[in-house]
Amino acid sequence: MKYEIRLSGEGGQGIILAGVILAEAAIYDGLNAIQSQSYGPEARGGASKAEVVISDEEINYPKVKLPDILLILSADAYKKYFKNISNNGIIIIDDTIQVTENSNAKIITLPIIKTAEEKVKKPITTNIVALAALQNITNVVSKSSLEKAVFNRVPKSSIEFNKMALESGYKLIDLVR
Amino acid sequence: MARILMKGNEALGEAAIKAGAKFYFGYPITPQNEVSAYMAERLPEVGGVFLQAESEVSAINMVYGAGGAGARVLITSSSPGISLMQEGISYIAGAEIPAVIVNVMRGGPGLGGIQPGQADYFQATRGGGHGDYFMVVLAPESIQEMVDIMQEAFDIADQYRNPVMILADGMMGQMMEAVDLDNVEKSDRNLPPKTWATTGMAHHQGKNIINSLELDPAKLEKHNLDLKKKYDEMAKNEVKYEMYKCDDADIIAVAYGTTARIVKNTIDMASREGIKMGLIRPISLWPFPQEPFDRTADRAKAYISVEMSMGQMVEDVRLAVNGRKPVHFYGRTGGMIPEPKDILAEIKNILGGVK
Repeated sequence: MKYEIRLSGEGGQGIILAGVILAEAAIYDGLNAIQSQSYGPEARGGASKAEVVISDEEINYPKVKLPDILLILSADAYKKYFKNISNNGIIIIDDTIQVTENSNAKIITLPIIKTAEEKVKKPITTNIVALAALQNITNVVSKSSLEKAVFNRVPKSSIEFNKMALESGYKLIDLVR
Repeated sequence: MARILMKGNEALGEAAIKAGAKFYFGYPITPQNEVSAYMAERLPEVGGVFLQAESEVSAINMVYGAGGAGARVLITSSSPGISLMQEGISYIAGAEIPAVIVNVMRGGPGLGGIQPGQADYFQATRGGGHGDYFMVVLAPESIQEMVDIMQEAFDIADQYRNPVMILADGMMGQMMEAVDLDNVEKSDRNLPPKTWATTGMAHHQGKNIINSLELDPAKLEKHNLDLKKKYDEMAKNEVKYEMYKCDDADIIAVAYGTTARIVKNTIDMASREGIKMGLIRPISLWPFPQEPFDRTADRAKAYISVEMSMGQMVEDVRLAVNGRKPVHFYGRTGGMIPEPKDILAEIKNILGGVK
């Protein structure tokens, strides 16, 4: 198995950290993973993106060519990345973004930002809510590894509300069925 | 600690500490700044010294000093910064001081860009600075290999009293990958004691002088001949390479570092289309491996050097193939990373031509 995953949004949403956590979770699962991100002026302002390749085999090409899973958390990221998805891919997109284009991929619209703001009451957990939703929908990594990676990478003082973010994110799958 | 997720730049810093480096000097430049940030935090924890110099020229001369005192010392930079260090590197080679220099290459020439490149091949393998000197140049293709090679690089530097360069690129420095830092193989090299080091202990062990100046031409020629003997030994002993699916290959790509792993993807795509393609991956760029070419030249129809440059290593490939088969080139530059499908298209062109 091999998954190419692109996480996209805007600065401040923790997109890069989400990429790092996802790659780390895959490694805890005993898989191979590469995380890469844009750096320099390319990474400043506007859309932010992190790329993760996960595979049970050796990963040679380190970048995402055509994502199988695409997370979109901002309108800018939608404009930039929506069209670039594999035919049987999955797009998980925040419900604040108006989708006006067609896609062959499966589009799943979820209230990710709203959940972080109103349920967890910590907008800073948008990335963790998104990761939990992505995990439960795609199973690219296990829940236990995702949790281990989250707790390893977030500040100790934030573990409690990140736990709540994970739980709230997992539950978003109920809206898919 | 088993496999952990680490950024290439940070992993190479930790690997240097594991290899016994106690000193790091540098000056900021993208895409290698995470090495400095990491060393600034980590080196004091292990009783080492991190120092951000006022310039690259200053930093490389601090390496000259620390290496001359017998310490294991690391310096890292990226292309324009490495250019600024060339005078110091030449002095370090002339004065026979061990040091490990990492170039996390970016696109050039000039200030160029900050995305990955491989256009410093000539500079790294042909001396770079002035005078007759060589250094072993090692090119890892993964973060794990970069970590393993770091130990080796320090050992080679100490064994020959010579600078060693690790040639990485912005892709490798910036990406994160799983790495095992605990099981790095220690070499069984017999490293000579550093009796030549200037340790400030002259009253105990006699005076040592480290210098690259010799105004008597006869003596300087003798020094150069001695260095040549050393370089010949390095050339004989320090060749490293990987041969990947070369056995029945019609076309053999030659690539190093990031480009080599991209070519491995191309080889998988090619084999699905029935094209027999292999890869010679030089791990030591100097000394450049001759043997894999001698082993494949009868069978292969053609070679292609794939680089993130306008064609530099291809000259060494031509020397190694020595007219036995055609040598082609495919390159992207300026920070563009070749895609497997583009390399495959070029391979098809070539094979169409040689049938």
